[in-house]
Parts: sequence; C-alpha cells; structure tokens
Amino acid sequence: MDDLLTILIRGLAQGSVYALLAAGFVVIYRATDVVNFAQPALMVLGAYFTALFARTYDLPFPLAVLAAIVVVAMVGAVTERIALRPMVGEPPFSAAMVTIGLFLVLTIIANRLIGSNVLTVGDPWALDTAVFAGNVRMRVADGWRIALTAVAFAGVGLFLVRSRVGLAMRATSLDQEVALAQGVNVGRMFGLSWALAGGLAGLAGMMVGSGGMGVDNTTAFIALKALPVIILGGLDSLKGAYIGGLVIGVAEAFTRANSATLSGYVGANVDVVVPYVIMILVLMVRPYGLFGTPEVQRV
Amino acid sequence: MRETTRLRRMAAALCAVTLVATACGGNEPDTAAPTGDGDEQTDTDTGDDTGDTDGDEDTGGDTGGDTGGEIATDIGVTDDPCPEAINPDNGCIYLGILSDLTVGPFAALGVQIVEGQEAFWERVNNEGGISGYDINVTEYTRDNEYNPQTQSQLYREIEPDILALAQTLGTPPTEAILPDMDEDNVIGVPASWWSGWDHDSADYGLILNSGYSYCLESQIALDWSSENEGEIGSVLAVGYPGDYGGDSAAGVQAWAEATGAEYLGFVETAPNAVVGSQDAAIGQVVSSGADRVVIATGPAETAEIVGGAMANGYAGRFIGSVPTWNPALMDSPAAPALEAAFTHIGPWEAFTGSSEAHQAMQEHLGEGNLPGNDGFTFGWIWSYPLKSLLEQAAANGDLTREGLRSAVDGLTVDYEGALPERTLGGDANETAVRVAVVSQPDNDEPLRLRTIETGISGPTADDYDYSAPCSGT
Repeated sequence: MDDLLTILIRGLAQGSVYALLAAGFVVIYRATDVVNFAQPALMVLGAYFTALFARTYDLPFPLAVLAAIVVVAMVGAVTERIALRPMVGEPPFSAAMVTIGLFLVLTIIANRLIGSNVLTVGDPWALDTAVFAGNVRMRVADGWRIALTAVAFAGVGLFLVRSRVGLAMRATSLDQEVALAQGVNVGRMFGLSWALAGGLAGLAGMMVGSGGMGVDNTTAFIALKALPVIILGGLDSLKGAYIGGLVIGVAEAFTRANSATLSGYVGANVDVVVPYVIMILVLMVRPYGLFGTPEVQRV
Repeated sequence: MRETTRLRRMAAALCAVTLVATACGGNEPDTAAPTGDGDEQTDTDTGDDTGDTDGDEDTGGDTGGDTGGEIATDIGVTDDPCPEAINPDNGCIYLGILSDLTVGPFAALGVQIVEGQEAFWERVNNEGGISGYDINVTEYTRDNEYNPQTQSQLYREIEPDILALAQTLGTPPTEAILPDMDEDNVIGVPASWWSGWDHDSADYGLILNSGYSYCLESQIALDWSSENEGEIGSVLAVGYPGDYGGDSAAGVQAWAEATGAEYLGFVETAPNAVVGSQDAAIGQVVSSGADRVVIATGPAETAEIVGGAMANGYAGRFIGSVPTWNPALMDSPAAPALEAAFTHIGPWEAFTGSSEAHQAMQEHLGEGNLPGNDGFTFGWIWSYPLKSLLEQAAANGDLTREGLRSAVDGLTVDYEGALPERTLGGDANETAVRVAVVSQPDNDEPLRLRTIETGISGPTADDYDYSAPCSGT
C-alpha cells in the first residue's frame, strides 16, 4: 500500500507538469484556434531563465521563478505579435505550421543559451525526500510540482471566469467577430493568451529542471507528452488539461513501476507508449476528448 | 495593400528571428553552405595544371599546391587554396563532418567534438599542411541531429565534394550511410566507440576508430573496479538499447560470465526526452542491490540515476561510460552522490592530461583556457588516424578515395602519446585497443574529473575473444 501511494504521488507530480504544458496549448487554442507547437521551446526557456536568475544572479528561488515566468510570458507575447498576428484570418493550419517553425527557432536559441553543458535550475529541494504516513516516500520537489500546478490552474481559472479581461478572452475564443463588435481588442487578447501560455510554460520549465533532473538540448521533447494529454482532456478544456495530465502521469508511473515485469512480455520502456495508447482509445470513443466541446456541423 | 504589409511584417519578423539566432551562436561551428569558393569539379583530368590560378578549381589535378611531386587526386581535392587558407600556395583537401549540433541527444558533445577537430586540423595547416595541401573541415560541416535519415540525406548532399569524412557522429547514423560509403570509397572517422568499428565485417574497413570499444570499456572498468573498489558479486547494466548501451551491456555480461559474478541483467532506458524521467531505471537499480551498476546513458540521465538511486537507499557503486560525463553534473543535486560512488572510464586522459597530444591542444586554446567539455579532446584525438592516412596516401602518390582506402590496412597511427601507437586493420584480437583511463569526480579539477590511473588494462578484457562485434550484428 505504501508503495502504491509512493507511485501515485510520483505520477501525480509528473502529470502536473504535463497538465501545465497542456494548459498552454488549451489557452492558445481557445483564443486563436491554433495548436501552438512552440510551447515546448517556451518551456525550455523557462528552465533557462530560472537557472539564470537563481544561479547566475543569485536571486532567491521564488523570485527567480517569478522573474522567469514574466520573461517567458513576454517572449510568448512578442512571438505572437511578430510571427502570429500577421496570420490572423489565415487558416489555422497555416498558423500551426508557423508555430512549428517557431519551435525550431526558439529551441535552437534556447540550446545556444544553455550551451554545451547540462543545466540545473538551482531549486532548493534537490533530491530531498519526505517520508510520511508510515513508509510513503515523496520527493519534496514532487510535492511542490503538485501544489504549484493546482495553484496555477486555480489562478488561471479564476482569471478567466472572474476578471473582465478573462471574460473578453473567453468572448474572443467563442466568436472573434462578435467579440470585436462588442469592443474587445481581439489582437490584444491573442497576445495575452500567448503571454499566459508562456507563463505556464515557464513554470513547467522550472518544474522539469527541478528535483535532480538536468535540462539539456533534448528536454523540449518532453513537452510533446502534452499532446496525448490535450487529446484525452479535450483541446479546448482547461479542466480536461488538468485531469488529462494527471491521468497520463499516473498511468505512466504505474507502468514504469512494473516495467521490470512487463519488459519480459512487451519490451523495455513500455511506459513511453502508454500515453499514446490511452490517446488512441479516447479518440476511438470520444474524438473530442473527455471534456472537449463536441463539434456539431449542420448539413 | 494589406497583403503586402502582412508579407513585409512576416519578412521583418523572420529577419529579426534569424538575427537573434545568429547573434546567440557565436561559438557554434560554421554550418553554412559553401560560398562557392570551394566548389570543385570532379573530373579526373591528369593534365599538368598545378599552376592553375584562373579561379576555376579543378579537383582532377595530379599535384597539389607546392608538392611538385606526382600525387593523383580525384574528388574533394583541389589545386586551388582552401577558403581563408592558412597557406595560400597550398591546394585544398575538403573533409566532411556529420555531427550532432543542435537538437540531438549528444549535441553538447558534438559541438565540442567539432571544435576539437577544427583545432586539430588548424594545427596541421599551421605546420604547413599535408604534402602541399591544407585541410578544410568547415565547408562541409552539417548537423545530423543524431538522426540516421537526416545523416543519409546530408551525406548525399556533401559526398560529391569531399575526400573523406572527418567525423560521422553516432553509431546508428553512421551505420545508415555505410553501404553508400562503401560504394563511394569514402573513409570516415567515427564519433562513437561501437565494437563493430574494430571489425571489417561490420564497418567495411572504412571506419578509422580510436581507443577501445564500449564492450571492452565495461570489461576493463569492472576488472579495475573489482581490484580497487571491492569485490563484485553482482553487476547490473543500465543504458540505451543498441550500439552504445547494448554494446556496453554485452561487455558487462561477458565480464560476469568470465569471472563468475552474477549478471543481473540490462535495464534498457532512453533519454529523458523520450521517457520523461529515469524513475524506472532508478527503481530497478535500487531493487537489484547490485554491487556495481555500469551506466551507458547521457549525462543528465546519469546524474538522475546516480542521485535518485542513492537517495532511495542504493549502497553499491556506479561505473560510467565515456559519454555519461559532463562537468556541469557537479553543479547538480547529484554531485555528492557522484563524488561518493561514481567512477568514470575513458579511452584517454581528459583535456588536462600530460601527453604530447594534450599539451598541443592545451597550447592551442591558450594557457588557462578550457573547452566546454571533453568533447574537444575526443575530436582532437579522433583525428590522428585520418591525418596518418592522408600522409600515407600522399606518400604513396595517391590522394584519391581509392588510394586512401587501400592505404588503411597496416597503417600505423601515432597519437603523440595520447594512446599507444596502433596499427589499423588485421585481426581485432591482435590490434584492438584494450587500455583505458579511470577518473573520479572532483570539484577541484578544471573539468571536474580527477585522473586516478592511466593506461590500465584488465585480465578479463585482455582475454576476451574479440573475433566479432559484441552487439548490433
């Protein structure tokens, strides 16, 4: 039982990172109908700037994280203004192609900033482990991952529901022309959604690099795990991103914990496949995801 | 009008992004397309055209630069000087580089390996070049992203313009182009230590490797560790499947079978970019209770496995293959665990070593300057066999691809003390390198590794029947 809880916590922590990344995809998709493939690169920039502020400039870690979130949010907003705003009115597919190009450019920039060494973000939790309720082991970094993700989702949710700007963003996501007619600055809402997604990616970057994990030039690809998450949860649902992330993380963790046994039957690293198996199963039953909006077309 | 403005904006954005990327990449190797200065014709003209200075480069000349002798050439050799030549009177030999430079798993190493090779060949050119030719390794440098398909495409792109490959990084990418290299008679220097490079049956006799193989590496390391770090009753291998981790694990298994130790298996893992974390490997290391764990992964994964396993109660020791190390690991939370229980094995001394080769590379960078990591040293030392081959082929009067290929067998390579002198070709049981250098993490050392012992070998590794590659066939 203790082992089960230990694995569950590990899965929830990993899933929290996936959920944060997925939230960035969802926020931008809801506002602009574009799937933003540049999100992984923003995540790596988040790790880089956290390390820069915490290790090079010796800022207290919480302050370093906040500063990194702000910087990556600004990178997101500027990227949208330069590269995506001219695509307004073009088919979403074209804009998605632009985000793939942005992914490559931003990844190369991030890798050059990181340089030839493995980057550590300077988190104070390092490899610390807490033991509670008998023999349930939890990495301290995992506890923070779970807690910070919950707080971030609550914050974004409240912002979208309670604030005027959040209302304007939701209006934009529902119908851009109607929102424009109501006096909403649609372009500004696009920029804001990219900034919000950038901030979430920045936080996810810190999490990916914490707890003894190094960041190098391949780390961006971890973020691709967010794709099965958004398919599972629904491309336009924040709640779906959160629950989908946790489900994928826990499924991976339990598969991993039994990988020694499973490898004899299905080969090593079967946990890598699990998110995609879940994704395919969900696509077969609910193509719009667990919490996504079903698409209805009049014929 | 609106469309025009939009296009202008997009063009401006692309320019801005390109400028930022360029500005951030001051230390990167030049991967730009050839400027045209080095365009060659690949005819086989044997006329006397050594004095050709009309601007039309001709790879078919029978002499190059100042040689004055009769040296046959074909592809990738010009009578005209290299772009920005150190010796403008010399001809030019173009060598290609296919390395992992941006988004692949070994990019951190790849960039430094390229820099090491550029430094090596710059030194050769500063000393006058080879038989009237300077060596150019920058015009045809390409990023293979550690992707066999990309490697294959890039090879096809540069093959018509190069004499040989100064670097082909990674075993799977290199294997992807071996049949083409065979057809084209292109010799290559590998940036990997797969055991197949010691066997003509696997590498067509085209690959000029240096140092041991991963398979022998793990055996030498375990021999040394059992003698110096305590008896080994059980051993576990952890690594990437295939010709890196798989080769290392094959050596671990062979060592266990030869010594009677218990072989606890091979834990196949993958880079974090694929598996997300090393939780599964950590769990299996801890539950195995092995006396030694031999790791063959990337540096970030190594730190996670060592740190995570120790934090969860593992009490044995780790041995790390060459690519597992990066100086920045000593800034990671795993540093105390690495200092306490990690031993690194390498084919030669790190950059701060004392051989003539090491002194030359230290002198090249300038006193007190260090490379980003030891990939620089790898690149430098890996280049010796190709230098010896070019010198031998030139001495034979045949700098054609076929001439190079025919000069490989029996070629003696002088590593200026970084490795023992070696003869290429022949029976791997006789010619394979079976010596290594053992180091341990140390924050006080320039590259965070302190050399414990050099030139070590081991009875199990020495007796190993190396009549075939250990893996991947």
